[in-house]
Amino acid sequence: MTIASTDDLSPPERHDLGSHGRELILDARNIGVDFKVEGGIVNAVHDVSFQLHKGETIALVGESGSGKSVTARTVMRLLTKRATINKQTRITLSGKDVIALSDAEMRKLRGNDLTMIFQEPMSSLNPVYTIGQQLCEILHLHNRISRSEAMKRAEALLEEVQIPEPAARLRQYPHQLSGGQRQRVMIAMALANRPDVLIADEPTTALDVTVQAQILNLIKDLKAKYGMAVILITHDLTIVRQFSDYVYVMQNGRVQEHNTTEALFQNPRHAYTQHLLASEPKGSAVPIVSNSPTVLEGKDVKVAFTLKRGGFFKPDFFELVAVDKLSLNLKRHETLGLVGESGSGKTTFGQALIRLISNQGGEIVFDGERIDGKDRTAMRPLRSRMQIVFQDPFASLNPRMSVRQIIEEGLIVNNIGKDTRDRVGRVRQALRDAGMPDTILNRFPHEFSGGQRQRLAIARAIALEPEFILLDEPTSALDLSVQAQIIELLRKLQAEKGLSYLFISHDLKVVKALCHRVMVMQYGKIVEQGPVNDVLENPQTDYTRRLVRAAFEIAA
Amino acid sequence: MTDVEIRQDPLPQDETTSRTAPEAPPTAPPANSRFANTSESYAILVWRRFRRSASGMIGLILVTLLLLMSVFADFVAPVNPKESFLGFAPPDGISFMAPDGSFSLMPRVYPTVETGEFDPITFQPLTGPDLENPIELGFFVKGYSYKFFELFPADIHLFGSVDGRPVHFLGTDKLGRDILSRGIVGSRISLTIALIVVTITTTIGTLVGITSGYLGGRVDAWVQRFVDIMLAFPQLPLYLALTTLIPITAPSNVFIAFVIGVMAALGWAQLSREVRGKTLALAHVDYVRAAVAVGAGDGRIIVRHILPNVLSHVIVAVTLQIPAIVLLESFLGFLGFAVKPPLISWGLMLQDTGTFSVIGSYPWILSPVGFVLATVFAFNALGDGLRDAIDPY
Repeated sequence: MTIASTDDLSPPERHDLGSHGRELILDARNIGVDFKVEGGIVNAVHDVSFQLHKGETIALVGESGSGKSVTARTVMRLLTKRATINKQTRITLSGKDVIALSDAEMRKLRGNDLTMIFQEPMSSLNPVYTIGQQLCEILHLHNRISRSEAMKRAEALLEEVQIPEPAARLRQYPHQLSGGQRQRVMIAMALANRPDVLIADEPTTALDVTVQAQILNLIKDLKAKYGMAVILITHDLTIVRQFSDYVYVMQNGRVQEHNTTEALFQNPRHAYTQHLLASEPKGSAVPIVSNSPTVLEGKDVKVAFTLKRGGFFKPDFFELVAVDKLSLNLKRHETLGLVGESGSGKTTFGQALIRLISNQGGEIVFDGERIDGKDRTAMRPLRSRMQIVFQDPFASLNPRMSVRQIIEEGLIVNNIGKDTRDRVGRVRQALRDAGMPDTILNRFPHEFSGGQRQRLAIARAIALEPEFILLDEPTSALDLSVQAQIIELLRKLQAEKGLSYLFISHDLKVVKALCHRVMVMQYGKIVEQGPVNDVLENPQTDYTRRLVRAAFEIAA
Repeated sequence: MTDVEIRQDPLPQDETTSRTAPEAPPTAPPANSRFANTSESYAILVWRRFRRSASGMIGLILVTLLLLMSVFADFVAPVNPKESFLGFAPPDGISFMAPDGSFSLMPRVYPTVETGEFDPITFQPLTGPDLENPIELGFFVKGYSYKFFELFPADIHLFGSVDGRPVHFLGTDKLGRDILSRGIVGSRISLTIALIVVTITTTIGTLVGITSGYLGGRVDAWVQRFVDIMLAFPQLPLYLALTTLIPITAPSNVFIAFVIGVMAALGWAQLSREVRGKTLALAHVDYVRAAVAVGAGDGRIIVRHILPNVLSHVIVAVTLQIPAIVLLESFLGFLGFAVKPPLISWGLMLQDTGTFSVIGSYPWILSPVGFVLATVFAFNALGDGLRDAIDPY
């Protein structure tokens, strides 16, 4: 990673500038942004230049902290007060100097020529106004039109983003819409005034895979229809390959390499790009012996929640069945994938199997011992043999405890280890096994990155030398290259310690790389199961087919 | 933790892709690298944020001074607070003027005496400064004798007159007692009441809140209805009714204990409600589930996982509740329901201000209000600063 090679790969001008005869609409040169932080200034974006032609999509790709969102917000002039834009920054949007515009002129520009959609559709809409009111507000801000005319145009917009029954939706509130529909409404808002440039900042990260494919295709269609230019910000390389014409790879606030999508994927030249492309989960699980004994078995497991409908005087209890009589059989050394979209009941099923949630029916057998119906005290002797790693490494480690306390806790409560010295030795060993140095015993969780925290959570689990670990989406909150490392670590630990995993995920790529068998869940039921290659390469049900297509081809 | 030494090894590779940039940008000042290799405890983080709040720091300094003042009250008070001098004497002004009119660095007080002349119209005797007998002031002077910490007899005072004659910086009350000294000594009772009450309410409130929130279900429902009743009670009439239950002949320390008991009994409900809310949220956080998954029992989860995480909230609640109790004491004291003589408290001192004519003629007897104000401001500022510093983590 020498400076010289960096310069060749990311000159301020595009390799194909003006070569395909399209009009240049946005020209950003030398964007630099500094943030004031405790104890000084952090340079978040450094010398980023990019160009955007009419009717094309460029992608800013990078992992969290690479400065891609900050770059986009600089173009929108939506940075926080702590940020300062450096002097040499020049952003020209169809001949206008964006940096020099006054706040009032900028407001006129935003939503009219230049719009943005955000990652989180759940919080981007105001919950107290109807969809219609919020769409009309945008239309009124930039146009002088009557109320009824605005409503008519709002309805047309909703139809354009393919929301069923647009007239009825106008009177609904955001909570009545699903996540995908809300993102469609956000797109409708962004399109309301026919912008020249649309910035989409991770528009589908918070959505399910099948919905993600629909949204991205919608943006693609609308782009073609209105000749918009799109800046797509993402960390997902499959999306980039499918949807963008030109790619900028960002790392640490710099553009490391840029090229046309085709050239970049065929011939990644910068070391970081190569590293990123190589981080896609790959490989497959090591086959297990066929007569491996069963570790965990569930028979007709049912989990239901009693909810109350109706009022105080006329209570109406009904049962929400989250897990509907599911059976499962996990062998020693095996990894079983449990996939499905959000709300399919996969986490509930997993937690019921290790009795963090109680089940209402069925049998759960762990290593020949029936464990359903055991209360917390009765479960305690078994706890050290079954462990869990959670999805969010920021919530799963107590911020007030040091690394040593976190990992040692399980050893203390289970009376593992002769004395303190022995226990600390085990803690160190667990840290080394999880790929962390064993010298961090007195540090606190906030000092570590997401990937490192997930390693700590894994160290906590393996310190007890369990036979079975429930992995509840352990990689979905992590960056791509970190994800690859964690998968590698999990595979290594399985080989070394003979662990069995139940791997809960919605990411079929990771499942393919890690699991022996897979079960596909929908609405609390299992729709399909079998060896991972059979299910993913030759899906039998519509639902699985849709999941597979959405994950590997981003097609709805 | 002697068996744990701190070495610094490089962290594993995914540091390069974490949110903290690995190769620090050249513009980053060395200030950050100072902390890069050391572990910062939670307390240090809070302290670093707290230092940035000006009002918080002022609050901290004032609270420290207040506490020092009340601990060493006899040393700080210039005059014996129980001794009677001339009633309703006005505050003595400090002068930096020598008797001959020239400026001098030695501060002195000229006592007010009758000049021997009369008003030519009313024939009232005229008063004026006694230029012949200035009272020279100084630090660490001999004064009335007291027992240091109730143990060592002493008679050194922080400041006062050099020759032991009484000086009333804030004047005297109707019985001729020095208001400044009484305010200083009175801080003991006022702050002690506040601290004891807050200690009791915090303990009860936290315990009830955590139990209720962690156990949940039916226990939670019933406890919270009881808390509702406590919060719905009209508190002031209750205070007055309960304090009138104490026989008038009861010794003053029994009386104080009773007052503290009543305040504590009525004060814990609000905090328990807040703690319960926090506990409810914490009981479902992943790290608590992880503790269940490693086999930890309820007691361990409460003590190791929930208590440390609600404690920050409790600390803030404490610093904000202390001034409330100080105010309540001064209010009840003014009505004559908190502290009985011969004990001294700020509320009791304000009892003298009950009539309009007294305030009109001798406004200086309102000066205990200044003590209450300073205390309330100091603790509130400290609490606000603490809350801002604790919240983000």
